[in-house]
Amino acid sequence: MVRSLHVVILYLLTHLGLIFFMFPSNIIASTQQGHWLPILIGIFVHVLFLHIYMKGLNYFPGENLISIFSGIGKGAVILLLVPVLLYFFIITLITVRAYSEIITLVFLSFTPLWAVTLLLLIVSTYVAKNGMETVLRTGLMLAIIFLPLFLFVFILSFQNVDWRYFNPVTPDLNFLTSRSYYESFFVFSGGFLFLGFVQPYFSYERKYIIFSALLLIPFFIFSVYIPILTLGQATASVTFLPFVVIADSINVSWLMFDRVTLFFLLSLISFMILYISLVMCKTILIINRYVPSIKPVHLLYILSSLLFFLCFLIPDWKDVEKLFWWNTLLRFYVFIAVPLSIYFWGVRKRKGKHETI
Amino acid sequence: MDPIVKEIRSILGENNDFFLQRDIVADSAVVLLCLDTLVDMQKTRVVLQKLTHGLLSQGTSTQDIWNVIGERKEGSSHKVISAIKEGKLVINIEGTNRCILFEPVSKMLNRSIDVSTNENVIKGALNSFNENIEINIGLLRKQIVSSQLTVNTFSIGNDIPKSLAILYINGKVDTKIVEKVKSLIEKNKKMDISNIQGLSKMFEFSTWDTISKFNSTELPYNASQSLKRGRVVLFIDQLPFAIILPNLLWDMFIVENDRNLPQPLMIALRCLRVIGMLIALISPGLYVALVAVNPEVLQIEIALSVLQSREGVPYPAIVEVLIMLVILELILEAIVRLPKSIGPAITMVGGIILGQAIVEAKLVSNLLIIILAATTIGNSTLIGAQNFTSIRIYKYLNVILASIFGVFGLVTGFVIICAHMASINTFGKSYLHINTGRSEY
Repeated sequence: MVRSLHVVILYLLTHLGLIFFMFPSNIIASTQQGHWLPILIGIFVHVLFLHIYMKGLNYFPGENLISIFSGIGKGAVILLLVPVLLYFFIITLITVRAYSEIITLVFLSFTPLWAVTLLLLIVSTYVAKNGMETVLRTGLMLAIIFLPLFLFVFILSFQNVDWRYFNPVTPDLNFLTSRSYYESFFVFSGGFLFLGFVQPYFSYERKYIIFSALLLIPFFIFSVYIPILTLGQATASVTFLPFVVIADSINVSWLMFDRVTLFFLLSLISFMILYISLVMCKTILIINRYVPSIKPVHLLYILSSLLFFLCFLIPDWKDVEKLFWWNTLLRFYVFIAVPLSIYFWGVRKRKGKHETI
Repeated sequence: MDPIVKEIRSILGENNDFFLQRDIVADSAVVLLCLDTLVDMQKTRVVLQKLTHGLLSQGTSTQDIWNVIGERKEGSSHKVISAIKEGKLVINIEGTNRCILFEPVSKMLNRSIDVSTNENVIKGALNSFNENIEINIGLLRKQIVSSQLTVNTFSIGNDIPKSLAILYINGKVDTKIVEKVKSLIEKNKKMDISNIQGLSKMFEFSTWDTISKFNSTELPYNASQSLKRGRVVLFIDQLPFAIILPNLLWDMFIVENDRNLPQPLMIALRCLRVIGMLIALISPGLYVALVAVNPEVLQIEIALSVLQSREGVPYPAIVEVLIMLVILELILEAIVRLPKSIGPAITMVGGIILGQAIVEAKLVSNLLIIILAATTIGNSTLIGAQNFTSIRIYKYLNVILASIFGVFGLVTGFVIICAHMASINTFGKSYLHINTGRSEY
């Protein structure tokens, strides 16, 4: 249980970090009414693939994704591991770029973008430097410090809600054709692959991960609904980061701070730093397996300097969104193919064992 | 004179405290050798005569007496010399090359067991370790009356040998750690060690860690509780504290004597220390961030009053904070080693500077004085001088990051500190580990 704790916490933190930024605006843009349906479909798909993934991993005790795929054969490495690697690289790039933009937008308007990017990268690199175990343990520390702060602001954000905006409840199915709906799957697919990489260091029980996925449901729903309930669909759909705007409007007279949102955002950003370092860690693990001659730490330095320079090639937010959209296809491929293939090979491995006996 | 005595005299004879005298013990002619700064010769003679007389009157033969009263060494002068240096009385029986190592009455060179000077105890056992390693081990043996308590002593060092003892409780301790410790001691036996840095080198830890991998305590009670929780305790001769391995984050917040209070009070006290650490780490950085980078976070009234208090201060917040922090560190450092008669003078002068004068001179703001006081007080709630110091250093990271990136910098500073703590690992045990008492971790 104690060992599950680290994994559960990391799972929760990375998802919380992902939920509150782009996800609300994507969902709000995807449909006019009944937002609960697209959200719940997303969660359902997420939990389904999470379950398949973990079940599949269960057939390979003590192994991580890399050793499983390379055990299957060269085909699996090229068809699955290479896209995963590419996917990791692109999401690190997007996340670093997008979040430095958000940070400069919200509270560092005089600081140049490159400085924020640099700091984000340096800190993430530092966390990732000591390996997966450190990332998991750091997660626990950050949870102890920042999770109460986050929950506090989250509860405060209900301050201005008007429950009548919940109508109309009936969903329409237009969102299925909406581009931004598929972009919103960033949240559902981004975080859970790490479960395949923690194995040699930490073990976890499947039921706790499923529990924590269920625990996330209110956050998924209210991250979208709080802006809608406060501003109404029409206004919420034109705001850039709806939840951030709402958090900004919180007014608590007994608190000495005017912009409570800052603490909210900062706790989320600390979770995002954790997320970036987690993805970096995974990327390095994969690369190191095939290029063992370079030290992992050096690989990490190369990776983060590469990311830093690539961030300059993305001049503004429009390009970030473009990249985000291009990545969607890859994301769905990884999201669906990796859990299914692990499950498939796991079942086959077990059958093969039975037959030999 | 026997050749062995000549040899010993040729090596030790230069020392003025080298004692060499012929005597009659148990009806045979002997030569007594020792260092009279370590051995109380008068008393030792009396004891030796009484002992041998008693044995002789019981009819014991001279030969047997030699066997009974001490360890026999024959031929090798090397071992005899090191025994003399350790404070033994050597009895050489004339006409033979035989030496007896007799345990003499030593000069009183140890201080008695005393109340601890650096760790104050409110409710709990008061006695503390002193410089003598045997006394220290004895104190722990008294605390833990158990056959499971194991003591291993090693003699380490090449030129200047020193004894090093490791203690652990079988069945509680992680055997992997004990084996690792023992094998590293054996491997680096030739190192001359007299401090914790040396010990770090012996255990092949990085010497650049800001957080020590050893915890230390002066109180036998604390050390015994650590042993019961499955940790390893080390003693180096002439160091008046126990070195506990591994050091954990939690040690910063708990004292074993807390358990002499009712549980709610204990929890409250521990929470207080956690808050103390957070305040020490956050408040100077937060001040810089709020004044220099993100003033819009504050409510307008507070922001105005903060600005008002800084009115006339001619330099940026970061310079202001650094100046004051450095003065504060200087005061802390100055007070440590000063004689007790001069110490209060520093406190007074420091009090004047940090109090009103520097504010009235418009060199720093009023608010900063409050921030600094909170920082120092918060920092001082932490347990153990080394923990206190490492947190003291970390706040500068936060101050510098906050001066560039505001509150965002403060948060990244926190992430860095957390990651640093999370990355520390002592023989497979993480610094953030909590339940050392259990076998599972």
